[in-house]
Amino acid sequence: MSETPVATAAPKERKAPADSGGRSAHTALRTTLRWNKLAGLVAVLVLAALPFYLTEFWLITGLFAMAAVLGAIGLNILSGNAGQLSLGHAFFLAVGAYSYIVLSGESGVIGTHETDGFGLPPLLAMAGAVVVAGLFGGVFSPIAGRLRGMYLGIATLALVFIGEHVMTNAHNITGGHNGRPAEPMSIFGFSFSDGDPDLAVLGVEFDRYERLWYFGLVLVVGGILVARNLLRGRPGRALGAVRDSEIAAGVMGVPVARFRSMAFVVSSMYAGLAGALLALVYGTLVPGSFGLQMSIDYLAMIVIGGLGSVGGAVAGAIFVTVLPQLFSHYAASLPLVVEAGGDGIGPTEAARYLYGAVIILVLVFAPGGLAGIARRWSLALRSAKRPSSPSGKTPPQGAVS
Amino acid sequence: MTRTAPEVVSPDDGFTVPELAIRGVTVRFAGLVALDSVSFTVAPGSIHAVIGPNGAGKSTCFNVLSGVYKATRGTVHMGGDELTRLPPHRIAQLGLARTFQNIVLTHGTVADNLMLGRHVLTRAGFAATALHLPGAVREQRRHRERAREIAEFLDLGAVFDAPVTLLPYGVRKRVEMARALCMEPKILLLDEPVAGMNTAERVRTADAIAAVRDNLGISIVLVEHDMGMIMRLADEVTVLDFGRRIVSGPPEEVRNNPEVIRAYLGTGEDTPVDASVLGGFPAAPSQTAGGTRHAQRENEERQQ
Amino acid sequence: MTKFSEIALNGLALGSVYALIALGFVVIFKASGVMNFAHGSLLLLGGFVIAELHDELGFGGAVLVGVVVTAAGAGLMELLFIRGLGTVELHVLTILTIGIDILLTTELVRRIGSDTMSLGDPWGNDSVRIGDAYVAEARIASIVVATILIGFFFAAFRYTAWGLSMRAASEDREAAALMGVSMKRIQLVAWCIAGALAAVAAVFLTAAPTSGLDRTTGQIALKAFPAAVLGGMDSAPGALVGALMIGLAEALAAGYQSELDVLGGGVSGIAPYIVMILILLWRPTGLLGSKELSRV
Repeated sequence: MSETPVATAAPKERKAPADSGGRSAHTALRTTLRWNKLAGLVAVLVLAALPFYLTEFWLITGLFAMAAVLGAIGLNILSGNAGQLSLGHAFFLAVGAYSYIVLSGESGVIGTHETDGFGLPPLLAMAGAVVVAGLFGGVFSPIAGRLRGMYLGIATLALVFIGEHVMTNAHNITGGHNGRPAEPMSIFGFSFSDGDPDLAVLGVEFDRYERLWYFGLVLVVGGILVARNLLRGRPGRALGAVRDSEIAAGVMGVPVARFRSMAFVVSSMYAGLAGALLALVYGTLVPGSFGLQMSIDYLAMIVIGGLGSVGGAVAGAIFVTVLPQLFSHYAASLPLVVEAGGDGIGPTEAARYLYGAVIILVLVFAPGGLAGIARRWSLALRSAKRPSSPSGKTPPQGAVS
Repeated sequence: MTRTAPEVVSPDDGFTVPELAIRGVTVRFAGLVALDSVSFTVAPGSIHAVIGPNGAGKSTCFNVLSGVYKATRGTVHMGGDELTRLPPHRIAQLGLARTFQNIVLTHGTVADNLMLGRHVLTRAGFAATALHLPGAVREQRRHRERAREIAEFLDLGAVFDAPVTLLPYGVRKRVEMARALCMEPKILLLDEPVAGMNTAERVRTADAIAAVRDNLGISIVLVEHDMGMIMRLADEVTVLDFGRRIVSGPPEEVRNNPEVIRAYLGTGEDTPVDASVLGGFPAAPSQTAGGTRHAQRENEERQQ
Repeated sequence: MTKFSEIALNGLALGSVYALIALGFVVIFKASGVMNFAHGSLLLLGGFVIAELHDELGFGGAVLVGVVVTAAGAGLMELLFIRGLGTVELHVLTILTIGIDILLTTELVRRIGSDTMSLGDPWGNDSVRIGDAYVAEARIASIVVATILIGFFFAAFRYTAWGLSMRAASEDREAAALMGVSMKRIQLVAWCIAGALAAVAAVFLTAAPTSGLDRTTGQIALKAFPAAVLGGMDSAPGALVGALMIGLAEALAAGYQSELDVLGGGVSGIAPYIVMILILLWRPTGLLGSKELSRV
């Protein structure tokens, strides 16, 4: 029982053995980060090589997955890190998609409908779409600020339905039932479509989807880095505090309302970017693409991936997007599954069964999602590899009683 | 240990510790009066304890001070600033930090939690952080170093990078206090900092609190039940009962105040009762060796 | 005036059916703390069973079987997933119900295909004349039956041991458990009741003047969410009030569609959500929901 205040000179020797636990945790953290960076680099290289090998079907699937990744990262920041349940993500994707179409499109007439357009350069229009989506998020956030838990969840659901209604009726923006085409992306005259200019790399024709692939890849890498930065830094910590206890966060000096609001804005900006990318991939948007099903898909992505983790959102997004495509493509060779339209379980149904089953299984056996599983594996690997500490005999002096 | 409140800390980069003045604060919840016109003053740089039986309104008082509850009447002033109508985050920005009775720590490592405490002192916004601007990166590094210093001050250096969920209760309590210190507050509110701790941990925490006061010169307001610790640490004690302030004064006076004793024991007797009934902490040798009244009764029962 | 009274009666009928769904919803929430996104699939299940069996067993028999099967299905859900998982966070359970909904709905939709099935209800397309208004008999029946069932429900809530336990449990689970309330039994009963109510609701949702049960019938349950929410997630009377408000709003929007054309066609579909948002802006925890008090 020491009488000397803790602050006064603690002898250096006392510190050393007590520190070994913290030190090894620290180095372990740095090793993990280094591995992650390496893995990320390898992944990017592999992805950059894929357009040389993939068929159009898989290129399109991959592009859908990229859009999903962007949307999922955004929803994860809102629901996983800031803890605000949102079923309205599809709405903000729609805002992004249609903002891009309107900002980049021309005014005129399609069929019997008049259409509005601003004719901006596509890249600028895309940036504009992100801003507009963020604005919508900002406008909705005071409403979100007053609501908690399930009330917030269902209120965001309302956004999706009201949004669908508006889109079906706003012919000037959406082009009515026939839909409306999206301007292809072009940067400084280089068009991301079939031609203009004609391009072949290493003997492979680089048409629309190949070009969009790289565009999407840049967006995705950027999106992941930005999210990582946010969550590892001051805003991420503040958001986590708001999620865990608004009272404690406030007392720490975090302006709760402002951060809840910012979470919505950031999340909708990601959704807007995802929506704009979708518009580019689809080429033509018809109303009805952004409904409840899409919102649920995004929720499933971040849950399966693991709430609160950027990597988890990426994994979950890829999983949810690619799975149904896998099924429909390989339907013939799967047991129990018949061709679409036949008697029995078609590929879409089989994909849905698996989808529902995976959601259940993940939540039952791995509530931390894929990210949680990955974390447990890496912890297990690390503790299996690490040798026991040399000073393990006597308990370190500074140890907890 | 000195009992007189030290002089106001001389300005050191403009850091002056102000007086905390609570005047006539009343808090009402749906018919229940939690605090009834409570007034007391915390002198700068002193350790001020708020004690009282359960339900006396001590935590309510803290919640009013930190802005979690709105006072129905009365004012709270920190130096020249009025805190009464401010939201909690504004009060925190002005330099008032608090810990919670039931530890409220976020996930992540100790470092993450301490860095949260640095929120009021840092400025990196969404854009700067998202784009990994050098200014934001530098700021983060600088403050992390400072957080590590504070961690080592409270003997948490070893667990700085450990996840909080794995740590034992006593350590987590210290992290909670370290996080409040990371805000570099002028006034620190500690809500039952030694609740649930064993004797050794209590002594260490008491020493840390004293060290904070001695080295940083800030005011500390303490809600505690542990009388011995209060006798040792506090410069002044305010006693609450049923939401009302009974008395404020130096610990020796308060300890022998019959009203205070009555509040704890609820006796109607006028017989001066041995103040060691407010025991707990290892008593200073000057106290009577007769043992507590409770212990005396136990002895009698055992002999029967 | 005629038009208004017709609309009002239709709104009432719609509201009464929504009430059956919303009540089930709230009962599950009070008992398990979970928002049951699988409610739509339960409704579809009940309707499907009745549609398949009404030829053999007659309408009454089919309804009986349908109610029992749906109640059992709901009870099974509770046993396997909600209780079976032990203590898991509530939002996780809620998303789990989404997974269950996907499974059950996919299977039922596969069997229904693109058919529109009739449930064989006895009211058919008959209308009844009340004053100057013509109202479908089925709608009258729904009001009557729903009122009776809701009446029973509230009586049970008020006067039976189960009702008392439910109310106690939803206020303070730990205290209730300490007082000997069997959480298991309460939750099971709650889910079963919710399932039974959903089956009855399916009957009236697919009766005249709608064409019958089809693959999208389950989605109608989604409209009852706002009813439960705007009334307050943990308030049964609130669910009733909410459902009536939503039913009336929807009927009014549909009835006066031409006047509302400026808002676009089909406003009645989103009327429930607009009403809900307006109420939530005024009362963030619903009309009769309990406000959260946090103790620090």
